[in-house]
Amino acid sequence: MSILAKETGAEILKAVRAPEFILPTIFMPSLFYTIFGVVLNKGGNSAVYLLATYGVFAVMGPAIFGFGTGVASERERGWLELKRALPSPSYSYILAKLLTTLMFTAIALMPIYLIAGFGGNVELARGDWFSLFAIHLCATIPFVLIGVALGFSLNSGGAVALSNIVFLSLAILGGLWFPVFLFPEFMQTLANFMPSFHLAELALSIVDTSKECAIGYHTLTIFVMTLGFLALAIFAWLRQRSL
Amino acid sequence: MTSINSSNTQRSTPLLCSEVVKRFGDKTALDRLSLSIPNSGVTAILGANGAGKTTLINCALGLLKPNSGRIRLFGKAPGLAETKQLIGVMLQDTNLPDLLSAREHIELFQSYYRNPLSISQLSELCDLESFIDQRYKKLSGGQKRRVQFALSILGQPKIVFLDEPTTGLDISARKTVWETIRRLSKSGTAVVLTTHYLEEADSLADHTIVMSNGQVIADAPTEQIRASAGGAVIRCSTVLDAQIVASVEHVKSVDHHGKNLEIRSADASKSLKKLFELDPSLSNLTVSKSSLEDAFVELNRNA
Repeated sequence: MSILAKETGAEILKAVRAPEFILPTIFMPSLFYTIFGVVLNKGGNSAVYLLATYGVFAVMGPAIFGFGTGVASERERGWLELKRALPSPSYSYILAKLLTTLMFTAIALMPIYLIAGFGGNVELARGDWFSLFAIHLCATIPFVLIGVALGFSLNSGGAVALSNIVFLSLAILGGLWFPVFLFPEFMQTLANFMPSFHLAELALSIVDTSKECAIGYHTLTIFVMTLGFLALAIFAWLRQRSL
Repeated sequence: MTSINSSNTQRSTPLLCSEVVKRFGDKTALDRLSLSIPNSGVTAILGANGAGKTTLINCALGLLKPNSGRIRLFGKAPGLAETKQLIGVMLQDTNLPDLLSAREHIELFQSYYRNPLSISQLSELCDLESFIDQRYKKLSGGQKRRVQFALSILGQPKIVFLDEPTTGLDISARKTVWETIRRLSKSGTAVVLTTHYLEEADSLADHTIVMSNGQVIADAPTEQIRASAGGAVIRCSTVLDAQIVASVEHVKSVDHHGKNLEIRSADASKSLKKLFELDPSLSNLTVSKSSLEDAFVELNRNA
């Protein structure tokens, strides 16, 4: 337990000492939300819609980049190999990084919620705010697993490049920036293969009850996808150990 | 009775390898390698690049799994949490996270071990005082090594593996690391050191193991290995042909060294007497005791 606490403390220190990474991932989503959800809002319900989708967008950054590029660079430096020779359990490193990521995603979500509530006049029951927060926080998990798979498979240069591609694809094709229903039909079909789309739909089912939502379908799909990413992450982790 | 004795020996031997084979594709890095590391003093593992030194260390640490054979550290299998408590490690080409200070690294490592040294003990042993609160990124090469070295001894290990601990350091930084290794070894920890600086092994190691092509080609007290190169090295300029010199009594090998000949002899005074008989004009004469480097050259010539 004290190992995990120390390890998490070290991860948090590393993160706050790299402001060039942490500031954009925390504040870019709320900045975007302010512009597109509040300032450019032409009286439609975009403040409500984008609250759900930008929340998913906000957790993607710390998860994919923190793990993708973070793990890749520490692996490249030989740090992970050294850690394997030490008596600390190997899960403590991943778990510490996960706790740190959850902390930063929670921090990234807060300004979006505040701006939605006070600037965008979004009104939700207290219980719905908590449900929304729970869904957004859980959304971290599949993206963390994608990040782990990238970090253990690529060198740090490759991980930065591919993390960016994955991040932007999930954001745009998953309908986090523009609603999926504005897409041409083939892109609507494509969105069904994006975990970000299903998570956004689940978040939307809470903020916009007027809309029909196949909760069961989205929950099942994201669950299966998460299992797939878990398998991928474990495979990548085992593979680099045996090299 | 014998079995009890042998298992006791196993438990007190820091590292015991028997018939260890490790292949990478069709390349054999460790070829039925057997050795045992004595339970005190510094043991140097020498060998040319690709001889299998790092592979051996990685197998002992449990980072690589041998294809066959058996490795035991104090009778325990490599890679177990229990085993890892007993060993300290400094790996080649490893960088710690840049954004933490030496003190923060030490505090994290202290949580891993049952019986860690305190910050003040480590700081004194490894001379960290002046930079302990600076971020790792800002440290010089020598200071980084000192931090890594401090982390390797933090858990009060019974055996420490140092893979090329001074590569890339300047002379004075190397001397500081050597001094700390000597102190560590005096405190009763077995130290295993791989290096390609023969001078380093020569000055530090009580015991030397020479590897070539994944096998042990020499395993003995350093003094003995040094002596095996032949008693002395004679340098001189002479009109004699190298082939004739090589046939002189006690001469083990002859090399050209600039304009001079470099002659290794098991008995320098007898060889010299004969050489003066053959060439009275022999000049520029120096005679020196064989170094470990001479032995190393000799061993690799025969391997």
